[in-house]
Amino acid sequence: MSEPSDVLRGTLDLLILQTLVLEPNHGWAIAQRIQQVSRDHLKVQQGSLYPALHRLEHQGWIRSKWGRSDEKRQAKFYSLTRAGRKQLETETSKWQRLSTGVNLVLANE
Amino acid sequence: MRFWYLVVAQVKSLLLRRRRQDELDEELRLHLAQEIEQRVARGMSPKEARRSALCAFGGVERTKDECRDAWGLRLVDQLARDTRYATRRLARDWRFSVLATLILALGIGVNTAMFSVINALYSPPLANQDAHQLVNLYQNDRDSGEPGFLGTSCPAYEDMAAYTDLYAGVMATTVPHPVRIYHDERVLRGMAEFATSSYLAVLGLSPSRGRWFTAAEDRLGAESVAVLSHRSWTTTFEASPSVIGETMRINGVPVTVIGVGPAGHESGFFGGIVTDFWLPVSSLLALNETSNGLERDAREAPFLVTARLRDGVSLAQAQAGMTALGVRLASEFPDEDPGRGISVWRTEDVRTHPELDGPLTAVAWLLMSVVGLVLAIACINLATWLLVRGLSRAKEVSVRLALGATRGQLVRHLLVESTLLAGAGGVVGCLLAIWTIHLVALVELPFDVVVGLDYRVLGFALALSLATGVAFGLAPALKATRVTLTPALRAQGDIPSSGRRGFTLNDMLVVAQVVLSCVLLVGAGVFLQWLASMETADVGFRVDGLAFVEADAALAGYSPDEAAVLYESWRAGVAALPGVESATLAAGPPTGGLDGPFATLELDVDGYVPSADEFVWGQWTWAGPGYFETLGLPPLYGRTFTQFDRPGTPGVAVINERMARRYFGTPNAVGGRFRVVDRASGPEDAARGVELEVIGVVPDTRAWVLREPLPTFYRSPSQAAALTPTVVARTSLDPVSLLPPMRRTLRELGGALPVLRARTMPQHVAAALGQSRAAGAVLGGLGALGLALASLGLYAVMAFGVSRRAREIGIRRALGAQRTHVIWTVSRNVATLIGVGLTLGLGLGWLSVQGLAMVGTSLTLSVPSVEPLTFGLVTALLAAVGLAAAFFPARRAAKADPLVALRHL
Repeated sequence: MSEPSDVLRGTLDLLILQTLVLEPNHGWAIAQRIQQVSRDHLKVQQGSLYPALHRLEHQGWIRSKWGRSDEKRQAKFYSLTRAGRKQLETETSKWQRLSTGVNLVLANE
Repeated sequence: MRFWYLVVAQVKSLLLRRRRQDELDEELRLHLAQEIEQRVARGMSPKEARRSALCAFGGVERTKDECRDAWGLRLVDQLARDTRYATRRLARDWRFSVLATLILALGIGVNTAMFSVINALYSPPLANQDAHQLVNLYQNDRDSGEPGFLGTSCPAYEDMAAYTDLYAGVMATTVPHPVRIYHDERVLRGMAEFATSSYLAVLGLSPSRGRWFTAAEDRLGAESVAVLSHRSWTTTFEASPSVIGETMRINGVPVTVIGVGPAGHESGFFGGIVTDFWLPVSSLLALNETSNGLERDAREAPFLVTARLRDGVSLAQAQAGMTALGVRLASEFPDEDPGRGISVWRTEDVRTHPELDGPLTAVAWLLMSVVGLVLAIACINLATWLLVRGLSRAKEVSVRLALGATRGQLVRHLLVESTLLAGAGGVVGCLLAIWTIHLVALVELPFDVVVGLDYRVLGFALALSLATGVAFGLAPALKATRVTLTPALRAQGDIPSSGRRGFTLNDMLVVAQVVLSCVLLVGAGVFLQWLASMETADVGFRVDGLAFVEADAALAGYSPDEAAVLYESWRAGVAALPGVESATLAAGPPTGGLDGPFATLELDVDGYVPSADEFVWGQWTWAGPGYFETLGLPPLYGRTFTQFDRPGTPGVAVINERMARRYFGTPNAVGGRFRVVDRASGPEDAARGVELEVIGVVPDTRAWVLREPLPTFYRSPSQAAALTPTVVARTSLDPVSLLPPMRRTLRELGGALPVLRARTMPQHVAAALGQSRAAGAVLGGLGALGLALASLGLYAVMAFGVSRRAREIGIRRALGAQRTHVIWTVSRNVATLIGVGLTLGLGLGWLSVQGLAMVGTSLTLSVPSVEPLTFGLVTALLAAVGLAAAFFPARRAAKADPLVALRHL
């Protein structure tokens, strides 16, 4: 298996929002999940995960709450707000346009 | 919506910062703990797991920083850091900081004080809702067709009020009149407005206690009542509720207090003036000693009319209605109301009066520009200091640049420093302003003006401080951070290239300071000269040894006949006092002024043909027995009054030389005749239509102390049974010692008769000059302040410039240059700068004096002329200060041992 690539700057927000659509989660689990779901293709730099979470919270797209995880562990849980859902749609369509474009260029080889 | 969300988020970040910080620490700790646990589960040793987890995470502290940035606190953090740093620097350099704060405080203080005075004059008088529905209705001036100063007559007000389709309500009030109140055996002075019963309702206000006038009380013959203003009630009457229902004498007429006006409403005229009483318009005749104040007469129309528009009525509709009314009045009353027309103004658009607002604004701007000049000098001054400091800090700046600080950061840091200084200056300045306002309040004015610090003034001071901080900080900060690294980092600092003499920022600041101080000094000088000329002008008679006591029997309820007898026996009693040379009766202290005894009348002089628009007039007063002897005004021609000038004998007058020359063409006008034109009213009623023969001519006096002598005539009170309530006595002793026996004499005769004034003549004249003296002191003080600031600035620049050239001077000296030559070389540059500054400054000064003269003329004040002496003095003063500022540092440098200077090479 090849080395997992770092998440592109700017797409991290999108990935976090998408991860939180299913259920509220805490930072560590979000990173794990992104890695899992992408089948280890993507790896979230832990150093940039938290600034991103705080930025999204400051923007009002996610909100946080202390709670207990499945392993009965104290953790800060993030959940999507209504504004966040809307933002996710925008970001998703933006990303799709971008990736379609990039794919088209690459396919033109 | 989203904007407000973000603002709230920002504020939350600021407030909850401590807690968020702790939460963040906890969150990251938990994250790492989980990570380590996972690794241990995979079989690592706990120590190894911890190391690897930390490696995978990256910089924990850096992550925390980035999270904090995400809260939007980066700018706040940086500003806080800059502020801490700047505070430390300023504290270390405390001498400079204190000096700078003081300089700024002076600049900001005088500006804030001046602004608060103007703010008081301009604050809207009507603090009520729906003020936009209010309009002012003015009867126009006959000639100009603009709103006249004379105002609106009472019948015209009633005609306007009849337009009920336009107005929901109409009210009229007068300009506040000075009145005397006799209450609890005390005589108080106050201002009274004569207002209609609709006054408060139209303004949308209601009395805070008691009641307002009823419509019945508007009509003549109603019992006299009064409403106290809230301010006067709380101050003069100590908020005593029992005042309502009490009777007091206002100008001798018993008046019952029926209520207290709304709190915060000072006057119906304009914001600054304080009204003490409102009286119904019906009492105008009794209290204001006028006979036709309520008649339809274009010459005597005392009212200002304000109306509340009905809903949906526009200004244009109201104007149309009033224009129609104006036309109707002109045709119905061609004599009383000849085509004056009526103007409608929105009340909000008028500050005092449409005709008065323009000149007042001009004066306000003039005053603001004078104090603005002082602030500008202070700013330039500090800019110079900062520039000098900035150059000596070049090394610090270059080290910080070399360590990776950006120029923006450095500029921001320096600006924080200057804004801190300006903020401190602003705070001290506000204190100074409060103190100055107290001083201003001490100057005796004929009426009260409310001056206070309100939110507008404080906002002004705050904005001014911030603007000042940026104004004097920006240029030096930009300059200080423009450093070429290598030379600055070398041990000696940068090497001044002495050959280069471009026009640097430094030079510009020096020139600007010289120019501004020049303008300020010229202005102050011209004013002081004008003042000095007034001080030396004599009153026209010997004031030493004169004392006067003014009483009012009418206030105590005496009938005119009783009062006349009382006054005469009082005079005789005073004349018999030991040390009194002579005593006389007069209508008031024998000088003019706002409350002097002189009144102006239109005259018709036999044999004098006035030119087309000329108004033939003279001021006059009563002269009791021995008046001219007591004042020391022996007749130049003819005689003065005798006991034979009784009622029933032909009217006689003594006139002054000015009147004789102007209207009779000769100083010896004895035998000439003139008539008082039959339009007079008020206290002059006794003179209506009187025909007078000139029996004597006396020397000129200055009725207004500070003005040219005016055409004046005197009449004998014994011919008209007039009341002359003032005893004037001349003594060879100290006049102060005469005042108690004069009062005692009155008390023995008349019991508790209210004494209005008791003063010596020298005291009285000094008081008359007091207001202009205060103004002179303020302007002179501002000029001195400007000069002191400019000298400081010049000295700082020169001293620094010379110290930077110490090495060059050392080389010159070592190579054999004479000390005097060195001093000359250095001083020459300064001389050039001062020369440039003076030329520009004197030119600007001359222009501004011309501007002043124009404003003065528009206000019909006598205007100071530009004297060459002032310009000469200002030039000499500034040149001396500038050269001294250059000479002393230069001499110190020249005296230094050349070897020492060279060793530093």
